[in-house]
Amino acid sequence: MNLMLQIWAGYTRLTRRWPGLAAIIPFIPVLALWTAVSEAGLFPRAFFPGPADVMRAFFTLTYKGILPDYLQDSLIRLATGAAVGMALGIPLGVLIGTSRWAHRICWPVLLFFQAIGDIAWLPILLIWFGFGLTTMTFVIVYTVLFPVVLNTVLGVESVPRDLSRAALSLGASRARVLWEVTLPGALPNIITGLRNGLGYGWRALIAVEMIVGTSGIGFMMFDARRAGSTVEILLGMIILGLLWYIVDAWILAPLERATGQRWGLVTS
Amino acid sequence: MKTLSLRNLGKTYFDPYAGAHVTAVHDVSLDVEPGEFISVVGPSGCGKTTILNMIAGFIPYSKGDILLDGKPVHGPGPERGVVFQSFALFPWKTVLDNVGFGPKMRGVPKAERDRIAREYLALAGLSHAAHRYPNELSGGMQQRVGVVRALANNPDVLLMDEPFASVDAQTRMTLQEELTRIWQERKPTVIFITHDVPEAVFLANRVVVLSKGRVLDEIAVDLPRPRVWDDLVKDDRFKQLSARVLQMVRAA
Repeated sequence: MNLMLQIWAGYTRLTRRWPGLAAIIPFIPVLALWTAVSEAGLFPRAFFPGPADVMRAFFTLTYKGILPDYLQDSLIRLATGAAVGMALGIPLGVLIGTSRWAHRICWPVLLFFQAIGDIAWLPILLIWFGFGLTTMTFVIVYTVLFPVVLNTVLGVESVPRDLSRAALSLGASRARVLWEVTLPGALPNIITGLRNGLGYGWRALIAVEMIVGTSGIGFMMFDARRAGSTVEILLGMIILGLLWYIVDAWILAPLERATGQRWGLVTS
Repeated sequence: MKTLSLRNLGKTYFDPYAGAHVTAVHDVSLDVEPGEFISVVGPSGCGKTTILNMIAGFIPYSKGDILLDGKPVHGPGPERGVVFQSFALFPWKTVLDNVGFGPKMRGVPKAERDRIAREYLALAGLSHAAHRYPNELSGGMQQRVGVVRALANNPDVLLMDEPFASVDAQTRMTLQEELTRIWQERKPTVIFITHDVPEAVFLANRVVVLSKGRVLDEIAVDLPRPRVWDDLVKDDRFKQLSARVLQMVRAA
């Protein structure tokens, strides 16, 4: 018992000193288990490759330039979709959040279309736009849009009424109230919406790339299935998790904290 | 400085839950002279906050007139500054930027509005907190910022809606004393809404007692200034006035 406590204390000290370790250490048991199972030879190597095989595939594909190219394609698609989704979603959310009429008219429609999941659009999109970038972008925008709109509405509605009243009685016009009060007040929620939207969008992108793709991480994984290359499939899966971890933990979460907690809008 | 007049002011609204029209304010007439400090007291539901919200322009009125220097007012405007019970400070702005917000809306350049904001922060003894965010301040300090933010915009009338109701008793007394001091220095016209009778008497030149949407009576408060609690708690005239107002409010 005492030893466990000492180990735990040591771990706490260590991760406080090097916070990066806290992100790596929990994966050591996972890697160890994986290695053990693959080394034990329970399954044929071709079905169940070990970490070293995947690592080798990573270097080979990077060296050939395939992996960087595909990764770049996927990320650009996600970024484009997210940018368009925000450009549509934030104004729409602000409109619905501020206008009672817009809320009444848009809300039911919004809920209806939210229920039709991203992938459910694929059959009709393939007929309309074919196997191409338009179809992929549509799906990503669609996926990112809803969390952004819904969270923006939530954010706008959560701004206390006294704040806009205060701004108005200090001489602000309606437009200035929107810019100085409504948007900053809704910002923590907007970022939460973006964080959720990107998470869903990232998953939707991989799915779409498998079906529609001619490049990208999703395509790489599905293509590897055709070739029976489990190594590349596992590599793709690891990259998906790793990349999201980086985007979420290093960019989005700190952004969310920087706004909400600093202003006391979010209690940590 | 301008005169504020309420002429036969009334407010009726439709209550969807009761399914009926409710009259919150029946018929209120009141003239406020420039530089006057008026307290409005009354039991809850007497319509005092409704009146303040109508003067501030936050809600429309159903009958009568609100005149500022003879001109009717509609909607919120910078000539009527408001101090809120909830403080209503902008959490994403520093104290300095909160106080400089009114001048910013008027188009005052950054350097000048910072100078104005610092001047008013000094008035409230808050110079040291200029670069802090509201959530880093105590409730009492936040409301000091709320008061000088409204004052820094040079309003013709300062409307205060139970501003000290949510701070602790000791801080409240300090804030009340500070407010009388600031009022004496700057002589703004103030309408102060409260349900706390001693507070109303302590601050005002004139106490207006409301009951069920009507003015019940007005009492002139001729206590000398500066007013401090240590003196007034022992003052017979203060006790007499407070007792009279309290009696009216309880009967209301």
